Formats: sequence, structure tokens, C-alpha cells
Amino acid sequence: MTAPDAELDTVDAELRQRVVDVMSTVLQRLLEREAPVTEDMHLADELGLSSSLGLELLLELEEGLGIQIDVETMNPDELQTVGELATFIAGHSRPW
Amino acid sequence: MTALDAVSVYTPAFRVPIENLADPLGLTDMQVRLFRRFHGLGEIRFDPDRSLADLLRTAATGIDELRGREHRVRYVVYGRAMPVVVPYPRNPLHEVCGELGLGHALTFTVTQQSCASGLLAVQLAGRLLAGDPADGALALVLTGEKAFTRDARLLPGTSIFGEGSAACLVSATGKRDRLLSYACDQRGEFDAELGEPNERFQREYRPALAEVIRRAVADAGLTLDDIRLVLPHNVNIVTWQRLCLLLDFPVERVMLSNVPINGHLFCADAFANYQTARERGLLCEGDRYLVAAVGAGAGATFAAMVFQH
Repeated sequence: MTAPDAELDTVDAELRQRVVDVMSTVLQRLLEREAPVTEDMHLADELGLSSSLGLELLLELEEGLGIQIDVETMNPDELQTVGELATFIAGHSRPW
Repeated sequence: MTALDAVSVYTPAFRVPIENLADPLGLTDMQVRLFRRFHGLGEIRFDPDRSLADLLRTAATGIDELRGREHRVRYVVYGRAMPVVVPYPRNPLHEVCGELGLGHALTFTVTQQSCASGLLAVQLAGRLLAGDPADGALALVLTGEKAFTRDARLLPGTSIFGEGSAACLVSATGKRDRLLSYACDQRGEFDAELGEPNERFQREYRPALAEVIRRAVADAGLTLDDIRLVLPHNVNIVTWQRLCLLLDFPVERVMLSNVPINGHLFCADAFANYQTARERGLLCEGDRYLVAAVGAGAGATFAAMVFQH
């Protein structure tokens, strides 16, 4: 898998921003968090996102954005922040 | 060398879409959608008309090689996930052994490794046969369970269990499927009854399973490139996709096609997946393949075996 940082220049910037926006909203709801969620936040260590809630987040993103994420190539250990996950999704998804 | 001389699997024809299990299992709409989209579950097998003894009997009588050789069977080892399945003093295992003409065999059940107990049963059968002086001694390994309570049917956020059974005739000198290695890691700290946080178990699940897989492959004198096929436990698909990334092993060589149509058949997954691989011609003579299982509950067990077909 390509490192998320290296992919940043090649992904659809508009799609990536929509992923970030929806992800922030969904994370606030799933984690019952009032403070805003930003791109640099660590999903597990900072936001406390569990692996099962992580899958729920992906499903909500797929349904909210009308995309299918290529989870087969997704290594959660390498996608630690909101921004890294958004970059991966923008580069590894297709219209549903 | 321990060998599987014959395998017989019974999977009920009756299947229930996971959406129909939402009410009985208390699943939300989101949980059902997650199971279908990421865990790859679709339908779960049940056999409402067959008892546990019926399941075991059906699998065992499917082994043609057993007929006329019952007297050579010295051991019957039942690998099962659930510790208690019928009220005392009933014992479906003894009942079935008596019917099959195996009443003379030393017969016992192992449940200590939960869903990995099937592999433990094969290992124990091989060790018992290796130390048995009788010529041509055989062992019968049985697996199979009824998913009879909510706890027995659902692993929250992970998998849904179905019903099925398998029987496996084991010898010490057979030529069919020879056991090359067995690796097992028992982790008592992941004891659900002691309240160990589930999140830590989830986080360490894939690295721990990857470690025993690598160890089993190395103990067999092989590398992962030598493994033609992996026969997984049917816990779910996303776990295996992510495990394959961790192992740098192609997920296409993991036989996951039974996950959407079986559910997780407790200890019988390994044998059901073996049978499907045979039926589809996925194993050729000489191929090395790996079988993996994880047992969770009263502690966790990660286990892997490498065989040569």
C-alpha cells in the first residue's frame, strides 16, 4: 500500500474534503463529542475510536457519500489520523 | 507423522439470512449492515430438526473409510467450543460412539481452547497414536455444535455462529494429508469472564494470529510463499483481509467463500473449508496448506497447523 502522505498529491481533493467533512460530523456523533474533529487528530489514541466503531464510521461514509471503499487494501495500522484515513478513502474508493 | 485419512462434513441445507436474525439476536439495523458489508456474512446455517448427537452422527457416518475398521479406532476426540451443551448425565458423544461401534475407544472432549479446540483435537489424536503400540491404530476427531443460546450464536461486532459438524479419521502413518507443524499460543489474559477489555483483545488479535501462523510455517521448514492455500476460521472476512496485509500474503489464497453461506461453524470451519477446497480442486498432490483458528472466551487461543496434501 502506498503511504498516505505520498498519495496526497494524487487524490481527488474535492472528494477528500467531502470525506473529511462527513467524517468529522459522524465522529462527533459516534463518539458523543462536542468539540470539533480536525484532520491531525489521532483516531485511536486521541479520539478513542475502537475498531468496531471504525467499521461503523466507514459504513456511514460509504452510505453518506455514495461510495464503496476498497477495504481489502486498507491497513488500519497505517492510517492513524483523520487526514490519513481521508486521503486513503479519496484514493481508494469508487462510486457505489 | 499425523495424517488425516478421511474427512466428512455436514452442513445443513437450511440457511437464514442475517437480516432475519436481527430480532432473535437483538441486533440493530446498523449492526446487521456492518455484518453484511464488512464482515461478509450473508446466511447462517442451522438445523432445527437435528440434535447435537444427530449432527455428530451425520458427520461420522459420512466417513466411508471407517466402515469395517471400527475396531482399529483407539481414540475418539471431540473438539468443541462450548463447555456444557446438554444436561448431566446425558452425553451425546458416548451415545454416538456406541451407535457407531466405537464403544471400546478411549473417548473424551476438549473445550479448553474454544473454537481452536478442533485443531487441538487433531494434535492430541496424533500424539496419542504416536505413543500407541497397536498396529494400524486410528483416531476419530469430531467437531460440531448447536448454536443454542444467544451467547452461542453471536460474537458481538465480530461474527455469527451457525450449525454444522465434521468428522476426521486420523492415523499416525497415513499418506493423504500429513501434519507438518502445529503452533499454538494460549493467552489467559484475554479472559472475558475476568472482564478483560475487549478493545485490547481486538487490537492484539491479528498480530497474535499472524505470529502463530509465521511460527507454524517456520516450524514446517517453509516460508509463506510455499503455502498454496489458507483454510481460515470463518470469523469474518475483514479480519482476514487485514491479517493478510499484516502477513503480506495474498487474500486470494485464503478460502473465504464459505463465510457468506455458512457463518462461523465453531470448530468445524477448518474441515468444512478443507472439503470445499477439495471439491473445487484447489489442493494438488504435494501442496502445503495452512489451517488457522482462534478460540475466545475463557482466555484466548491462537492456533495454526501446516499440512501437506
